[in-house]
Amino acid sequence: MFKKNPSIKEDEVRRPGELSPKGTCLLALFLILGLAAAGTGIAETLKVERPNMQLYQAPNFASPVLLPVPVGAEVTVLSRSGDWLQVSYQGKTGYMHQTAFPQTPPPAVGLPGLLTGGPVRETRSDEVALAGKGFTPEVEAAYRQKNPGLNYAQVDLIESFRVDDRQLAAFIKEGGLTP
Amino acid sequence: MSPRILGILFFFGVVLFLSGFQLPSLPGVPSEVGKGLGIATKAGSKAVVAAREITDSEEYYVGRAVAARILGKYPLYQNQAVTLYVNQVGQSVARKSSRPSTYRGYHFAVLDTSEPNAFACPGGIILITRGLLQQCQNEDELAAVLAHEVAHVANKDGINSISKARWTEVLTATGTEAARQFGGGVAANLVNLFEGAIDDVFKTIVVNGYSRTAEANADRGAVSILSRAGYNPAALVSLLSKMSAKGGSGGIFRTHPPTSERLAQVKSQVREAPASPAEQTRTKRFQQVKF
Repeated sequence: MFKKNPSIKEDEVRRPGELSPKGTCLLALFLILGLAAAGTGIAETLKVERPNMQLYQAPNFASPVLLPVPVGAEVTVLSRSGDWLQVSYQGKTGYMHQTAFPQTPPPAVGLPGLLTGGPVRETRSDEVALAGKGFTPEVEAAYRQKNPGLNYAQVDLIESFRVDDRQLAAFIKEGGLTP
Repeated sequence: MSPRILGILFFFGVVLFLSGFQLPSLPGVPSEVGKGLGIATKAGSKAVVAAREITDSEEYYVGRAVAARILGKYPLYQNQAVTLYVNQVGQSVARKSSRPSTYRGYHFAVLDTSEPNAFACPGGIILITRGLLQQCQNEDELAAVLAHEVAHVANKDGINSISKARWTEVLTATGTEAARQFGGGVAANLVNLFEGAIDDVFKTIVVNGYSRTAEANADRGAVSILSRAGYNPAALVSLLSKMSAKGGSGGIFRTHPPTSERLAQVKSQVREAPASPAEQTRTKRFQQVKF
């Protein structure tokens, strides 16, 4: 026989691995906060990693450009929709395509995703991963490997050539063209 | 297990469910069952996938490949001053087109050949030969060539020449259920389809030429772009007159549709006016560039 320690109350005796009521509450609080943050995307900031990126008025490439966004610029993400992110940059709110941020994780599954099964999870096989998306950089890479004689270096060179916005404005003005 | 532990586990379960977490496939569960389930759950979205158009980024990758192929045929003219000038004129017209911006923007480059020609690769890489630059007499004529090519990009004439049957095959190959079922074979097939798509586009823009309708629409587009950009749309008339006099020699000087037919159509859309002082300024700066 042993005597109970009078300083320990019955309901405070815990089995190993069991959390105290306080711990449970804290854990729940953290999880709820975490979910809320993931759901609303509180003040997520992303850095632009590709050149020639622009802030568009609407989420499509044909919409008017609000202003160019240089490499290294930090934008605040307000929301995501498909390939487009609604962002705030230099006091302006507009849309940027996700390619500006190569590391951008795919958007989390929303409620509609829950009902329809969410995005398809790819297997580890690269081939299957690239098969699911049509003509992608991976398809281009495979194509280049198959056709090593193609002059992609010059295509990259052509794409890297950029007319400075101020230079273009001066060119348009000098030639009496419509700005 | 105490009710408290059960409660915590239940809470975790709910959280994982809400956050879209998917459990890894369990060992011992036959993969065929999973495959079947996958097909069943995705069957609804298959119709959506099958109906989709080629995306802007897909168009971009096709365009890059077409450009790479053209650059295998003609060398790039790497003259900084000429490239800058052509890009300045090109950007001045592209921003006034019905598609002012593409996935990675418009880029203009010069090919080092005396053969007069110009190519609009899907997605916005536009190539013009030195031969054609030398045929242009002023900046407005150069703008007319580039506006015509920009109109082809804006109208998606290049990318739309991918055969319907091939695109359907691409969509079938990219269907996830197909990818799951056939595994590795799909990727190789997709690369072949990509190659075929590039063939289709290359044949249209380099070998056979666009349809009569596509050319007429691109001319109409060019007239509208030139007017909006502040260039003289009559430059397209003078350019076509020159081409008509020289006769066809492939590319932009193609005989189908006959240049005379295009000339008559464009003439009806343009009111010719004497060169403005601004046009004379542009001609002066054009003459300073050594093509």
